[in-house]
Amino acid sequence: MSVPSPSSRPASIGGVLWSRLIWRHWKREPALTATLAGILALGVAVFLAVRLANKAAVSGFGLFTESISGESDLLLRPRSGFFETSVLRDLREISGKRPVDFFPVLELSGAVQTGAEKPDGDLLRFVGVDLVAIGNAIGQSEEAGEGVGFSAEEGEPGLLGVTDACLVGEAFARARGVAKDDRLRVWINDRVADLRIAGILPDPANRPAIPENLVLMDLPALQKVSGETGRISRIEIRFPEGKAEGGIRAAASEGLAAWAQERGHLLETPEDRKASVTRMSAAFRLNLTILSGLALLVGIYLIMQAMEAAVTKRRGEIAILRSLGVTPDQIRRTWLTEAAVLGLVGGVLGIVLGRLLAEGLVGGIAATVNTLYYETTTDAVRLHPGEAAFSLVFGLIASLVAGWIPAREAALTPPSQALRQGAQGGGLVWLRRWPVGLVLFAAAVGVARLPALTFGEGTNFPLGGYLAALLAVLGASVFLGGLFPPFARLIGWGRGEAMRRYAASRLRAVGGRHRLTAAGLSVAIGMSAAMAILVASFEKTLTSWIGQLLKADLYVAAPGSASVANGNRLAEVDWRALLSLPGIDGADTLQRHAVTYEGRELLIGGAAYHDDPSRHLQLLWIEAPAVIGPDALETGGAWVSEPFARRYAKRSGDRLTLPTPSGPREVTIEGVYADYGNEAGTVLVSRRLAEEWFDDRSVSNLAIYTSPGVDPEAVLESIRGRFPALVTRTNEKLREESIRIFHQTFAVTYALEAIAVVIAVAGLGLALAGLLLERRNELATLRALGATRRDIARAAMWEGLGIALAGLAGGLAVSFFLGWILIGVINPQSFGWTLRYAVPWGMFVFLSGVTLATAALVAWTVGYRNANLKSDREE
Amino acid sequence: MKALQVSRVTKSYGSTEVLRGVSLSLEPGERVALMGPSGSGKSTLLNCIGGIDRPDTGTIEISGVALGGLDEDGLCRVRRETVSTVFQFFHLLPTLSVRENVEFPLQLQGLSVKERDARVDGLIEEVGLSHRASAMPHELSGGEMQRVAIARALAIEPRLILADEPTGNLDSATGEAILDLLASLSERHGIAMLVVTHSPQVTRICRRTLEMRDGLLLGQEE
Repeated sequence: MSVPSPSSRPASIGGVLWSRLIWRHWKREPALTATLAGILALGVAVFLAVRLANKAAVSGFGLFTESISGESDLLLRPRSGFFETSVLRDLREISGKRPVDFFPVLELSGAVQTGAEKPDGDLLRFVGVDLVAIGNAIGQSEEAGEGVGFSAEEGEPGLLGVTDACLVGEAFARARGVAKDDRLRVWINDRVADLRIAGILPDPANRPAIPENLVLMDLPALQKVSGETGRISRIEIRFPEGKAEGGIRAAASEGLAAWAQERGHLLETPEDRKASVTRMSAAFRLNLTILSGLALLVGIYLIMQAMEAAVTKRRGEIAILRSLGVTPDQIRRTWLTEAAVLGLVGGVLGIVLGRLLAEGLVGGIAATVNTLYYETTTDAVRLHPGEAAFSLVFGLIASLVAGWIPAREAALTPPSQALRQGAQGGGLVWLRRWPVGLVLFAAAVGVARLPALTFGEGTNFPLGGYLAALLAVLGASVFLGGLFPPFARLIGWGRGEAMRRYAASRLRAVGGRHRLTAAGLSVAIGMSAAMAILVASFEKTLTSWIGQLLKADLYVAAPGSASVANGNRLAEVDWRALLSLPGIDGADTLQRHAVTYEGRELLIGGAAYHDDPSRHLQLLWIEAPAVIGPDALETGGAWVSEPFARRYAKRSGDRLTLPTPSGPREVTIEGVYADYGNEAGTVLVSRRLAEEWFDDRSVSNLAIYTSPGVDPEAVLESIRGRFPALVTRTNEKLREESIRIFHQTFAVTYALEAIAVVIAVAGLGLALAGLLLERRNELATLRALGATRRDIARAAMWEGLGIALAGLAGGLAVSFFLGWILIGVINPQSFGWTLRYAVPWGMFVFLSGVTLATAALVAWTVGYRNANLKSDREE
Repeated sequence: MKALQVSRVTKSYGSTEVLRGVSLSLEPGERVALMGPSGSGKSTLLNCIGGIDRPDTGTIEISGVALGGLDEDGLCRVRRETVSTVFQFFHLLPTLSVRENVEFPLQLQGLSVKERDARVDGLIEEVGLSHRASAMPHELSGGEMQRVAIARALAIEPRLILADEPTGNLDSATGEAILDLLASLSERHGIAMLVVTHSPQVTRICRRTLEMRDGLLLGQEE
């Protein structure tokens, strides 16, 4: 960036204008300029941070485990369940003599067993690879001069053919405080195994770090300890460099694709696989990104406010320039240049800050993705040049948008110095027309009714909802101009205090600066309060859902069941033994299987309910089936979760074809139930059907009803004594846990809102500092009349409170509408959840109190610091 | 007791000596004109007397109260209760009406509504603006604005009024009228007045005229 030095001789009229109008004023008020750039920087930083953190939070998925053999060219996996090892023979047959390497992988989830306490929460990913095949491939690639994922030296010794040996990454060892040759007692599927750490894998240099929860084993060893003998999860396919070029490679790919299609398997590139998985959380991450734009939107108002004030202050100067022949276009360009330079400086600072901020956000986002969508591990946050450039351009555009209206105001200044007298009036006439706000509101209501844009594979984008939110926010910004007179009357009520009346008189004569500051505050408050409505509605719905759902006395799950990605199960022999323990009256049982349906992950649940109609799981119905009861599913129908129904536009009576290991199965939807536990979508059938389809009699969850008169805690203890690895909770504990997870998923949103409110309140301080600077002569008069510093600070406080009140009232008013958009439009269209509208009045009181108190404090401080500003009166 | 006693006051800004040992005094009710070219130190002297600025050396006493011993709050109290200023550019608070401008210093003093009303109504009537009491400053002529400023200055019943070019921004007829008003009000209320001016017209309402050059009063009182 090239900024002309004040001492340099400007070569053109543009240079003269830049130097006289902008640069000198920046030099005169460096704190103000720095604050403006800082606000913009914070906006850009939050935006960039969320994007980087989003990337890092989901980039861990599969990057290591999906290409364990190095850089796979293709991935082959079944739509559901496992392959049998014999599939490798078929593959070798169809590829004939073509040079293709196949690497079978078995991937299972499990947990470190830490005793009776809490094995849950420490979910492990066990990956079994064929070390012989990889060893061969390494030999070949080294001949071709290429490295692969991990080396034979690290992998082979002590691992090959040894059933109790495993390798872990450095992060795993650090997190759990283990070293080579230590032993790990783990739970895989329904078995407990004692593994020896045969080695610690160092993180590879040019690839993502090895995930903290990865345990690597030899394939046959993992098959043996997990009981999945002869089974594999997927096959990684590689065409060796230099041996399978052009035509050979294409022919091999075609042959494999035809074979996979014929058998109903999925053949994808690793990139396709990653994209299809991360698409699951796309709506969640998009919502976060849009929310992150909030800080920048608040920033736009503040930049606009500051630049508008600068135009007002320098209007006399602009008039002189106009009278000397400077054209409106030249004036406009000068102001836009100021906006652009501010945007660039703020943008560059924002990139640095955003990179740091991303570190703090990534954990929170990853935790939510883990809980709601799929297993992910965080990658180190990296500053992607593309993301940095995008954020810089975004910040620049925001700054130019903010500068456009003030630039136009400046250009419209007539060439008359007489304007100097009226310069205090302020511009932005459009902001004074508060009825325009009502028109924007009406437009918002109309736009909100637009249907979602639908992309392939069930991804919906609620464009109408977002547009409606933007229109409503703009409407509130304009409308709140009409709130100043009543608030001025409120603050100036009575005839008591001099400074309060003086502040009220100032609020009666508000300019663009007051309005824009209040508008910025209303955006921040409006969005924060709307999110609070969303959270409250979610919580209310969830609490009622959990209340209806959780009727059992005890809940038992295989380790890691908090994550929907978990595939851990209890073997039939175990859960039947568990249910035969004394004091147990019966149970609801559920088995879950992840399948790929229309390119996306889907859970098929097999449920069997307690025989007693009054003692079994009660679902919350969106579309109730004709028959509800323990045997309702036994007739072969299916109940689908609301997210599934919305995503694929399905309803009761529709037919579904589900992919299962035993071939496609057709079911009829008989009911749609609310499910706030996952967004992936679930199809519930009877456990009997699922057992048949998946050839699996294990279960993942049990809801246990104790016999009348039996203390659930006593039963809980006996289960823990007999099955120490299982996750066991009482009804109350599970409720608490569910609400805790719920709040954890909103942690990042809370942080983003807080940043927006902080920016807005800082903007209030900035605006007041600017206003006092403009009124330095008036301050001198007040002092001459005997007003103390504290008196002037008090006047600033009342004025700041007036602005904050207008922003708060506008923000809270618009939040009801925004809340409705979030709950009634964006949420159902993005996630497929129906929520009950709830207003968190307590939170509103808290938000209002904190905003007003902070605004008062900031305004008082600004007033006190500026009370002794020297007048610019001439002698 | 003198209304104002200034003794050997000096004031410098950086290396520039603006006041170089100024001394003067005013009796209660006395009006004195202070003339001199721009940059001679008149306004700085006025600022020091009004407690806006502090002299480097020397003492200033208003009705026996030495300003040097007062902290910021003490100086504010002096401006609230003892000394008023009338400015060349009027400096009315632009968002307050005529009545509110006049009432404002009384509110700062903490007077009751009843006391304020009685005093404000009388003053507005005295300066001939009863019919414009609810007008805003931007609706007034220059002469009217200065009348409001005078009424505001009188509201606190000061011992001393400092007038900084009170007619400097007015046409000559209006200026004459304002001078007559100042003279009559100062006489009626017994208020001393120090008027900084470039205009010889002002001297006609003053008992004495002092001239200031280069930070010193010519023929300065000892």
